[in-house]
Formats: sequence, structure tokens, C-alpha cells
Amino acid sequence: MSDQTGLTLTLDGASVSFTKGESIFQVAERHGKEIPTLCYDDRLDAFGACRLCIVEVEGARAPVASCTTKAEPGMRVTTRSGALEMHRRVLLELVVSENREVDVDELSGYASQELTTLVDRYDARTGRFEGRISGTSRPDDPNPFILRDYANCISCYRCVRVCAEQEGDYAISIMNRGFDTQITTEFEGHLKESACTFCGQCVQTCPTGALGDIKALRHKAIEKPVEKTRSICPYCGVGCAVDIMTKGDQIVGIQPAMDGPANEGALCVKGQFAFDFVHHPDRLKTPFVRNDHGQLVPTTWEVALDKAAAGLLAAVNEHGRHSLYAVASGRAPNEAGYVMQKFVRAGLGTSYIDNCSRA
Amino acid sequence: MTQTTDELIADALLQPAPLLPLLHRLHERDGYLSEEALRAVSKGLRTPLADLFGTVTFYHHFSREAGGLDALRVCTGPICRLNGAEQLVDALEGSTGMACSGRCDEPIPVLRGGQTLVGLRADALELRETPLPPAPPQGIEECVFAHIRDDDRKQLAGYRRTGGYQALEQAVTSMTPEALLDLIDASGLTGRGGAGFPTGRKWRAVRDASGGPKTVVCNADEGEPGCFKDRALMDHDPHGVLEGMALACIATGASRAFLYLRYEYPETEHVLLRAIEDAEAAGILGDDVFGSGQTVHLHLRRGAGAYICGEETSLLNSLEGKHPFPRNRPPYPVTHGFEGTPTAVNNVETLSSVAPIVLHGAEWYRGLGLGDHAGTKVISLSGDIERPGNYEVPMGLPLRTLLFEWAGGGRKGHEIQAVTMAGLSGGFLAGDDLDVTLDEPSIRSKRSFLGAGGIMVFDETRDMVDVAHSAMEFFAHESCGKCFPCRIGTQRLTERLAGSAGPTEPGAWLDEVADINRTMKETSACGLGHAAPLIAESLVRYFPAAVQNHIAHSSRSTGLDT
Repeated sequence: MSDQTGLTLTLDGASVSFTKGESIFQVAERHGKEIPTLCYDDRLDAFGACRLCIVEVEGARAPVASCTTKAEPGMRVTTRSGALEMHRRVLLELVVSENREVDVDELSGYASQELTTLVDRYDARTGRFEGRISGTSRPDDPNPFILRDYANCISCYRCVRVCAEQEGDYAISIMNRGFDTQITTEFEGHLKESACTFCGQCVQTCPTGALGDIKALRHKAIEKPVEKTRSICPYCGVGCAVDIMTKGDQIVGIQPAMDGPANEGALCVKGQFAFDFVHHPDRLKTPFVRNDHGQLVPTTWEVALDKAAAGLLAAVNEHGRHSLYAVASGRAPNEAGYVMQKFVRAGLGTSYIDNCSRA
Repeated sequence: MTQTTDELIADALLQPAPLLPLLHRLHERDGYLSEEALRAVSKGLRTPLADLFGTVTFYHHFSREAGGLDALRVCTGPICRLNGAEQLVDALEGSTGMACSGRCDEPIPVLRGGQTLVGLRADALELRETPLPPAPPQGIEECVFAHIRDDDRKQLAGYRRTGGYQALEQAVTSMTPEALLDLIDASGLTGRGGAGFPTGRKWRAVRDASGGPKTVVCNADEGEPGCFKDRALMDHDPHGVLEGMALACIATGASRAFLYLRYEYPETEHVLLRAIEDAEAAGILGDDVFGSGQTVHLHLRRGAGAYICGEETSLLNSLEGKHPFPRNRPPYPVTHGFEGTPTAVNNVETLSSVAPIVLHGAEWYRGLGLGDHAGTKVISLSGDIERPGNYEVPMGLPLRTLLFEWAGGGRKGHEIQAVTMAGLSGGFLAGDDLDVTLDEPSIRSKRSFLGAGGIMVFDETRDMVDVAHSAMEFFAHESCGKCFPCRIGTQRLTERLAGSAGPTEPGAWLDEVADINRTMKETSACGLGHAAPLIAESLVRYFPAAVQNHIAHSSRSTGLDT
């Protein structure tokens, strides 16, 4: 058998091909099988916690987790059967029983509806297996970005894994064992005192809304549907793809685009949470210049540009062309950036030009 | 002189698998693990602080409060509970209960720092040696216990007097590794920790695996309630274990081995360290084993309180200083073990069997078993039995022969109601199912398993629902928290066996319990989750009336306070 071609296995009775190294889950997804899962995030190492993705493999004693089992030539795999669906339903009923609530606002985060969707699909809101709720929420954490509502945590550890594997921050970890497991920072502190950079990736991968986007949730009460508009983050030159969430004319939040070629679901604190300027009452809508008393007053572009040109020329005349240094805004489009450097180099005659992403 | 944290860190970094020993040194120096110490460890070992903190909290014996190390810990395992352990906790100020600490043949052990006190009452606690195994009946030949009762067996000279280390000498001077592997294959030796995998095949897989360095790990994290055989072997015949580890190294091509010792055996650490030191000084272990030029370095590492670390992949993560969740398999440790290198993980009893096999031959060992069964198995017998203790039985011995002929039967005037198998993991056997023989096929036919060989006996005075509840509480306490069915399932089963939550209607109660049992058994990620349901399942099977009575009389408060 060659390494890359000609590998096949039987998936629900059909012969399908796969690539060496693929998991059964990946092969099945590629072939349109909707295998349920709660702990899987395709950007992270397969973990095998939730066991919802179990499949039957002929010859195996018990079902195997398809996310952590590599596809092998000749395997005979069944992704759906009475026994598998029964286990999946019991697992979901167990998960429902450990949470304060299952239905959370979609503004909580990108993946926040995963649990509720699966619970509906398996009709698992049965009230069975009631008992103690797991996880202790942290309403004491004063950070303005990340809601830590662990009474809805299902210990899939996607947050811990994304923080380590994707972001490299290792700000959060797993405390205690078993049912007493708790997501924590070092010494149970607040996120602000930890290594957290508030990139929000934990929020966006959380499948239950236990971690929520506090800024987006401010707009929970607006009774309009959420619309998403694909755009590029305006902050720096990386070009992270984002979905801007709006309700009517109001921007309510930002979600990273999981398929963004530059970011693959990642954002930084600015791209994720710093969008309030758009609707801010202090936002500039016309140019301002200072009057004779030093006060800023609204004016026209013509007046403002004349004033700026006069100031720049005065500086060049007095101190020479190298007295000027320009920083282009990372939030400006490429074209504006191009014009800016042209203006600085050809117009002012200096090469002192940079971009705020580096400056 | 007390060493500074930085000095301890510098020392630790010279050793493989540095995290646990470093944490223990700090724990012992300060009496707890302070925030300051953990910050320094994080920096010194370049491990993220949040990770380190989370990992420390995984182990229940690492204290994070001043004075915590010396606070008394009373064993409240199944047998000690029968002997009044909970009252002892109440009587000893500042004490807390702990999971079974492996002294069921002589209850109740109480840990005080690095010492084990034993006694039934608060005013009668004393230091006592680990009990020796009772002598076997006439005509029974033993393997691992053959010389354990000899005087001086603990000392190197005493060990060598009856042929100790001859097997190792033979293996490095007049045998090829291949011949050693063939011999172990032929003996039929299988893993005595519970999984029963053929030892020769495991070693061969490590030897044949590409990559290195190769590693041997002796799993001495004897955490299964009702099991105390490895304690006896290590305390009374430490060189027997070390010789087995060295032979495993020679057979697999490893030059280093770790012994991972459970926290609850503090005295054993000193016994083993002394034995390693003596054997190294005599040129038996170290850089030049018996002048052969072969290197075997043995390292002792101590756990910190976590049953799951007896699971071999959790153990490897623990050794590596990682969060001790079990790993996904494949790949298996024989190719991807300690730090990703080929590793043989073997139980203490398995390794203790190796030197006698080399000395007396494969046929001899096979012949110790009855019928088709090869070799012997140590059974830790405890509870309502006349003579509790460790018994090395021929594989295939009828259970009743052990209970009634070897160990004197139940307490006078009482009937044996049920026994556990595999410590707790095999659940209960009762009634006609006590007619099993002590070997896997026989016991598995009764939907249980022999495992590590702990058998706890309960007579008719015992409330089996209560026994099952405390057993499930143990599994819930020890569930690592990685996979959903075990993490939530053990909790829900505990609540139902306590009567604190769950249906009050018998049909619904039994349905819920059966569904949890089935899903846990079929979908859990490791042996803990596969086995824990056997307790609930066998309780319902053997004691239906007691279960009905329990459901009818359970009092529900809010159902949320278990």
C-alpha cells in the first residue's frame, strides 16, 4: 500500500478513500456524515473527551472515538446505529444534567449553540440523571470581555486547549479531578492577573456559552435577528477575517472567521473586542482645526487640509525634511497606505514612514 | 542544612522526570506547596504556571496550605470503614479521610507526614511494619513469596544468600537478550497488575521498536482499594523487585528504569532507595552490571495521590510532569511511552516473578498453575475473613478453597455474603458465583475480572448498598475528569446509591442506573470508566431486594447536596 494514494475503508457500507494520518472523524466529515461532537475543534489536537463521536469498527470490543482513531486500510466503520445513537443520547442527557441551563444567547460566542443544537437533535431534554451541577461560575472576575459562567461548563477543555495550542498563552488550565473539575487560572485568580491576553479564542470555541462575549451580550435585549457581514479586521496589517455581527444598524459584536486564511479563527483583543468606536458619540465625522484660542472647532476638508499643509511646510522650512516622520494607520486600506508613503517620500522628501502595526 | 528553592531546582534539573521529586522536596521542606515555591518551579522548569497549578491540584496529597503535609490522613477505604475509620477521623483532630491506602490486612492506617501509624482507636496508634504474607498450606510452592519470610531478606546479603541477583548475573554474562525473551515467553508470564498482557510480548515489542532511549517503568502505584500485595513485596523483598526491573532493562535494551511508587507508602521509598544504593555499591546496578559493561540506572519517583496514575498512560504523563490524564491509544507505550520513547510498563508482582523464572526455568513457572493456567497470582484478601493477608495462589485455585481452607473462612458465626473482585473494579461476586476459580476466564464468565487480585469479603451483617455507595464514591473521587461518561456517570451513580438524587420510582431508578452503566462501559476512555459500573451492575444483580428497599426509603432533600 502506498503512502498517499489508494487507501480505502468502508464507511457505512460504502468504500471511501482517505489519506494516511486522517482520523475516522475527518474521513467521515469529508463524506458528509454528521457525527456529533462537543470536544472537537478541527484546529486543535483531537482529545477524545466527549465520546459523542463514537463509531463502530468491525472487530473492536466496543465503539471507538472517531476523532482519536486513525483511519486504517480495510476498516469497516459504522457511524450510525441503534446502539451508537442510544449512547449519544444518554451522554447528552448526562451533559444536560450537569449544566444550569442549556439554551444560551447566540451572542455568547461562535460555537455557543453547539450543545443546544445537539440536545435538540437527540431530543435529550428529558430531565433524566438529575443531580449536582458541575462548575463554579466566577461573577467576581471584573474583566469587561470574558464571561466566566462555569455552571454551564461541560469540561471539554476546548478553552484550555485553544489557549495553549493556538494562542500559546497557557493562561488557563484544569483544576481538580472528575466532577469537581474546574477551569482556572493560576491560583484561581482573575483573568487580568493571569497570562490571558483577552484574545477571546476561548470564548469563540466554547460549545455551551459557559465562556461568553460580555460586550456582545450587552445587546442581548435588542429584538432583531443577528446578521453577519464578512470583513477584514481594521486594526493592523495581518488582515484577519472577521464576521461583523449586527442587529439592525447596531454593530453588536465581532466573531473571527474560522475560514479566514490569515487568522483561521484567531483574533487579538483589539480585533475581538475593540469595536465600540464605531457607534461612539465622540467619533469624528468632520475635520476639526484649532481656532485662535486653541480650541478644536469643526470645519471643512478644504480648510483643514490647507492648515495641515501649512504646518508641514513650516516644519520642513525650519528644521529640514528629515524632521518629519509619518505613521500610517493600520486601519487604513492598502490604497490609502500607498498614497501615504507616496506623499511622504515624493511630497515631503523623506523616507521616515512606518505603519502603526509596527510602530 | 535546608536547601533553597533555587538549589533544589538546580538539583532536580540534573535528573530525568524532575517535576514530582522537586515538588516533594518543596512539600517536605515547607510542609506544603506555597505559591512562592510554585512560581519558582514554573520559572525553573519553564512550565506554564497555570498548567503547573492545575497539575498540582490533581493530586490529593499535595497540600497548598501551611501545615498541610503533617495533617493526619485516615484511610477510609472499604475495609477500614468496616473497622470504624469514620469515627477515627472524628476522633483525631484536624484529620481527614483518604482513599484506601493499601493496608487492608491490618486496619486502620493513618498517614502522618512520612510515617504510617496503624490502629483502630485514636489512643492506640503505633508504627508497625507491613505484615508479612501468611504461610501457605503444606505442599504449595510459591514464586514471588518463596523467600519473602526469610530473615534478612530486605538486606542485600540476605537476598543474595538464596540466589538473589544470580538471574541478573546470568542474563548479562551467559544469555542473550533474545534467550531471555524466549524464556519469559515460554513461561506464560502475563501482567499481574490486572491487564494480563503477555510480558514477553510486551518486552519484545519494546526491544523491536525503533527509536530510543528505551525505558522500563515499574508501576508501584498500587491504588486499587483492597490491594496491598505490592506493598508487601517492596517492603519485604525490595531486591526482588529491583532485579526484575534490571532484567526487564536487559531484555528490552533499556538502560534506565523508573519505579513509580504511590504516595501512601512513604516507608517503602526508604526501603527501596536503600536497596538501590546497596546494589549500586556492589556493582550489581549502575554503569557496569556485574562487570558486563551494561548500564542499568533505577530511578524512584513518588506519586502524590491519584488512583488514575496506576493507569499506565496516566502514570507516564505524571512522570513527565504533565497533567495526568490517560492518553489516547494507539499509539501504545511500547512504541510511544515515556517522553515518546519505547517503554515497558510492568507491575511490581510481574517484575518480581522474573528472577525466579530465570533461575528455575519456564517449565517450573508454568507448572505452578493448576490445569492450563500458568504460574501464580498474589491475592490480597481482606474484610470479614478469619486470616486476612496476601496469599500467592496457583492460578486456577477455586475461590472457596482460598476463602475457607487457606484463610479460615468468614468471621465465626457469620456467612460470607459477597466478595469483591479486582479490588473494587471487578464489582461483587455472590451466591453460586462464588464457585469460580481464580483465573481470568472463570471470573470473566461471571461478568467480573480478577485484575490485580484484591478480594474483599463482606458477611451478612454488611449493608451492601452502603458498600456499593462508598465504592462508587471512590470512583467518582478518582475519576480524572477527562471523558464525559466517567466524569458525570460516576457522580450520578454515587448520588443514586446515596439516595440523594434520582428517581424515587424503582423502574425509573433502575433504568437510569442501567443506562449509565452501559454507556460508561461501552464509551469511557479508560479502564476506570469501563470498570466502575460493575459495582452498580453486580449490586443490582445479586441484591435486588436490598436495592428495592433502598429506593423506597431514600430521602430526597434538594437532590443537589451530595
